[in-house]
Amino acid sequence: MNIIEIRGLKKNYPLGDTIVPALRGVDLEVAEGDFMSIIGPSGSGKTTLLNVIGCIDFATTGSVKVGGHEITSLNDRQITEIRLNKIGFIFQTFNLIPVLNVIENIEFPLLLMKRPAAEARKRADKLIEEVGLKEHAAHRPAELSGGQRQRVAIARALVTNPDIILADEPTANLDSVTGASILELMRRMNEIEKTTFIFSTHDANVLKYARRIVKIKDGLIEKEPALA
Amino acid sequence: MKLIFTIAWRNILRHKGKSLVIGVILFTGAFLMTVGNGVISGMAVGIEKNIVNGFMGDLVLISEAQKSDNILLNMMGSSIEPVTTYKQIKEILAAQPYVKRFLPVGKNLAMVLDESTSAPGYAYLLGVDFAEYRKMFPDSFTVIEGSYPAGGQRTLLIPTFARDEFYDFYNIWFLPEGGRVVKENLKKEALANLDTLIISTNVVMMGMTSGINTTTDIRFPVKGIIRYGALNQIFGHFCLVDIESYRECLGYFTAADMAAQVPKEEKKLLGLEGGDLDSLFGEGMIVSDVKKAPKIKVVALNEPKLAEDGVYNAVFIKLNDGEDYGRSLKKLNKALAGTGVRAVTWNKASGPMGGMALIIKSALFIFVMLLFCVAVIIIVNTLTMSALERSSEIGMMRAVGAHKTFIAGMFLGETAVLSAVFGGAGILAGIVAVRIIPLLQITTKNDMLQLLYGGNFFNPLLSLSDVGLTALQLLFVTVVAAMYPMRVAVHITPLDAISRD
Repeated sequence: MNIIEIRGLKKNYPLGDTIVPALRGVDLEVAEGDFMSIIGPSGSGKTTLLNVIGCIDFATTGSVKVGGHEITSLNDRQITEIRLNKIGFIFQTFNLIPVLNVIENIEFPLLLMKRPAAEARKRADKLIEEVGLKEHAAHRPAELSGGQRQRVAIARALVTNPDIILADEPTANLDSVTGASILELMRRMNEIEKTTFIFSTHDANVLKYARRIVKIKDGLIEKEPALA
Repeated sequence: MKLIFTIAWRNILRHKGKSLVIGVILFTGAFLMTVGNGVISGMAVGIEKNIVNGFMGDLVLISEAQKSDNILLNMMGSSIEPVTTYKQIKEILAAQPYVKRFLPVGKNLAMVLDESTSAPGYAYLLGVDFAEYRKMFPDSFTVIEGSYPAGGQRTLLIPTFARDEFYDFYNIWFLPEGGRVVKENLKKEALANLDTLIISTNVVMMGMTSGINTTTDIRFPVKGIIRYGALNQIFGHFCLVDIESYRECLGYFTAADMAAQVPKEEKKLLGLEGGDLDSLFGEGMIVSDVKKAPKIKVVALNEPKLAEDGVYNAVFIKLNDGEDYGRSLKKLNKALAGTGVRAVTWNKASGPMGGMALIIKSALFIFVMLLFCVAVIIIVNTLTMSALERSSEIGMMRAVGAHKTFIAGMFLGETAVLSAVFGGAGILAGIVAVRIIPLLQITTKNDMLQLLYGGNFFNPLLSLSDVGLTALQLLFVTVVAAMYPMRVAVHITPLDAISRD
């Protein structure tokens, strides 16, 4: 069953008097529980595609269905609800809340969902253990390394049991060893939680972790390369 | 909510410098407002207490012909219209259950005459029945030299303030008859000229009223020198004089004049109406049969009459404790219909003095609101910068599912926490200051300060409504200051966060 269905997606950005096409008619289907990588050179449209799937950016034309919802016709409140309940994000620059400690950062989305504090803490405790940061629960993000921060971001993305987790170059700011461990963790989580993972990268080393690879170039999806 | 306040509080601690700047402004505004409100409330209560209990009561009756309600310290000493119906008024007042006591008075300006100076000085005269005045305002002043006049005595009481003024103007030091110079009571300049001090025990005054050209200069023997218990610098302009001398001085009908008046019906009998004196000797007046002649009442010119038969300018009224001014005023004006007078409240009758508290309160309110406006601008600026600096954080929050209301609440929460902590501290510090100030027993002889103090002692008071007003202002500042930053913050999108990265 497809969790994501994209048809004829176009995204243009105005740049002064000119229009820059970022996506020029993308068609894509992603199956539930997939662990997929979007690859391509810088400026190819990877991030834009992830942003549109994640309801962070909006399509100029075309159809985008996430979990059966046509997101191109939703208002801000509905879009926010989808982001909260169906999608988890892992950013390149970690983007944690600096004034909250590790455990508070992880439980943050659950508190936004107005889940009881005890229940949220229990779920956060489980995930912090899974990402191996139990002893750092009371630390603030500034007290953690890049790899540790990204682990927190993964735990936060997983905490709401989303249908999809989108990760935009999750290893870009990490050294190769830490990056590999993060991808291992993501894959493990995909297996444990059965969550669909889509991550973008232009690092060829990352590709070995993916079960499916989608190549994008000049705003169009190329033929899917064979897995190594 | 807990999450919002947790984030807000930690952000405040994270940006200590900014928070401190905003906090100090909020603290200062709240402190000034609280203390200012305390000072003004103390002033209002003090002025009310001193005027009501010591000078003019709760309500004042004045002539309907009187243009201005203000009869205390009116512009250029313009004259107060006479009230000629006191006997009638007295009966009505006595029948009102809410009226505790009342006192008719004459009040106008008089020239103080002296041969040695060409330019005359002035004094306000308050014509009263001394015995009744004492009953109405038992503690309003103390006699520091001489003695209090006996009932019916024709004399004058000069306040220390007026005596000092007379000395400045005429170089004469007034003493009560039979009195001697009391060095401690001498003005500094008079003490310096003690050897050559000119002393007088009587004052010549001439009444000043518009429309009456028959004022008389009266030589008043000074019976005593008085000092008002409070607001001596204000009330000290008023010399107390017996009502009959006052009337003579002002050219009003005295009670004795009234006794000499031929009643209207008797004028008719005499055929005097119309001023046709010849009719007195007309044939109609010649009767052949004495038994048929109309009876004519012989009016004794020196028949003793009550002082209340003469003219007054106002009636001071004290109400029973706890009586509502508005209701009493309405009832009284209804009861007094047709008597040619109207009742006004003490604060209207005392003119700018009565409204002083409100004027200063308004001025302080405007000042503090200006301060708060500056605070709002600084807070808006700081929080907007903060919102822009935190674009990544806010955008990320939006990306993981935070609604716009959450972001708005976070900013409002930050401002609210700052207001509550620093503004609350300002209010508390203000309350403490207002409690401590009376213990310092600060006194003044300065006119303006006496007004500000509402008496001789600086005694600020705080009511719950004063504290409530400051809290409301703080709330207003909080909401207004958070509006724009909130607007900026809620318009930050997840995409902004990513683009910034």
